[in-house]
Amino acid sequence: MAKREPRRDLWLLTPGGLLMTLIIVVPLLLAFYLSLIDLDQYTLRRWLDAPFAGLDNFAEAFGSGLPHAIGISVSFAVLSTVATVPFGIAAALATQNAYRGRGLVRALFLVPYVLPSFVVATVWRTMLQPDGIVNTVLATVNIDGGLWLSGPKSYWTLVLVEIWAAWPFLYLMALAGLQSVDSEVYEASAIDGAGWWPKLTRVVLPYLRGPVLLACLLATLNHINNFTLPYVLFGAPAPDDVNVMPMIVYVTSFQSLRFGLSAAMAIVSLLLIAIPLFVYLRALRLDVHEEGGRR
Amino acid sequence: MSASSEAHRLLPRPLLVAVTVILCAMVLVPTLYILLASFNTDLGVASGEFWPGSFSLDSYGRIWTTAGLATGLLNSMLVCALVAVASALLGTVTAYVLVRHTFTGRLTILRGLVGLQSIPGTLMLLPVFVLFSSAGNYLGVTVVGTRWGLFLAYLTFALPFSTWVMVTYLRGLPRELEEAGRMDGASTPRILARIIMPLSLPAIVVSGIFAFLLGWNDVLFASVLTRPSTRTAAVALSAFGATQEGGAVPVYSQVMAAALVSAAPVVLLYLVFQRYLVGGLTAGGVK
Repeated sequence: MAKREPRRDLWLLTPGGLLMTLIIVVPLLLAFYLSLIDLDQYTLRRWLDAPFAGLDNFAEAFGSGLPHAIGISVSFAVLSTVATVPFGIAAALATQNAYRGRGLVRALFLVPYVLPSFVVATVWRTMLQPDGIVNTVLATVNIDGGLWLSGPKSYWTLVLVEIWAAWPFLYLMALAGLQSVDSEVYEASAIDGAGWWPKLTRVVLPYLRGPVLLACLLATLNHINNFTLPYVLFGAPAPDDVNVMPMIVYVTSFQSLRFGLSAAMAIVSLLLIAIPLFVYLRALRLDVHEEGGRR
Repeated sequence: MSASSEAHRLLPRPLLVAVTVILCAMVLVPTLYILLASFNTDLGVASGEFWPGSFSLDSYGRIWTTAGLATGLLNSMLVCALVAVASALLGTVTAYVLVRHTFTGRLTILRGLVGLQSIPGTLMLLPVFVLFSSAGNYLGVTVVGTRWGLFLAYLTFALPFSTWVMVTYLRGLPRELEEAGRMDGASTPRILARIIMPLSLPAIVVSGIFAFLLGWNDVLFASVLTRPSTRTAAVALSAFGATQEGGAVPVYSQVMAAALVSAAPVVLLYLVFQRYLVGGLTAGGVK
């Protein structure tokens, strides 16, 4: 590759780089500083003069609701991811072979995915009201639905609505994985006379392991960071059982006005997602060779 | 031919039918109810009807005054359309430099582009809010509560993904396409505008639409960075859904209508650009 390097116009990076530095990198560093000062509604206007608090905010965070929020967030994220995998794979397998009306089915599968989160949360919130349609339907089979949006059942409401909204992501990623199965592989297994189950588990599913694992990683990150769904479903402050990390960080900031404490909680949540994120970044091949490289 | 398609069949027919029916029902039943409820009356929905006693567009007429949806939709449209255009253009320029040149720190930037997408919004919100209000307190420039403050925030958060989409696309464009322009001594901005951008229109569309969706779907930043006159459709709808409960007659039909109207632009975008979007989605792995 002894090609002549074209003129280097690195200045073109300036506008994008400046924006990302000013509104992502600087705030990120600022978040660390804010977590170390005693910042409330009185000191906010002149935050440069706010008293230094050391690690007090972190100590207070761990002494209050943060460990509970971490537990809820992690279990919610993992549970939602695990539950969406079978739906996603089944949907991908069912739409892989062409049949009349498949286009319509594929479009339908994307509906929960396409709808904005705040719309999904609003309509489910309405349907799950004590006098809403869900309880009306359950009453016809003599089940008392009770309260979905407060109390211990709210956790399962959050998980179920998240599953409803998120499984198409797994479906899309599994579908992309299926495209990579070579045609000869099917033909070879047909010649061997393999039945559908051995063919599926021994031939097709191994192809899906990579894409599905990647999808799980990304989905878990998305679930952990999801603020819109709990916020719109339950309102702020959220019931104790769905007080996930994004909610507790938000409420501590903009309702309790304990900004320093909230920044400390946010830093802890960053450290938590740094683990799966690190795995993802390591696995990602960044420098695929420019020309003729696979997409 | 039929033997070959038989070899490609993944699931036996009964299982295929069962899986398809279950998944379709899971999506279709709530969606159908939302649609039907929006064409019902508030009274009809409150009495627990699935199928409306009478169809009417009443709810679609009322939400403009009750939910304040017009302001919200207009603000969302303005901000997000601008974000889409700006983010796609900036993303293309940035990606071009990252793909065509090698320089120290390039891999760090590429890795950063992906990493930045996963930073929780709740971590960014407070420092961004502090910075934006400092612009008011220390410099006398009002940013919090304005549309362009929201625009700046969304543009910046959309940029890593927009750039990443363009990076993956531009990698596939052969260098030879630009050589002719280089020979004629055209400058890089000119080559970008005349050669690169027309050739990468599909990817530009994807990165623009995802930037649009990022803004349209956001509740977190909009709930803090807007005031009533600048609030977005997302904030207007969530507020409407939350405040209308517990009244004598719940306005569930209007909530459903308002929800569908807020989703309409997004659904429309997907319908028109479905082919591009699904590909871009799995490439970037982002919602």
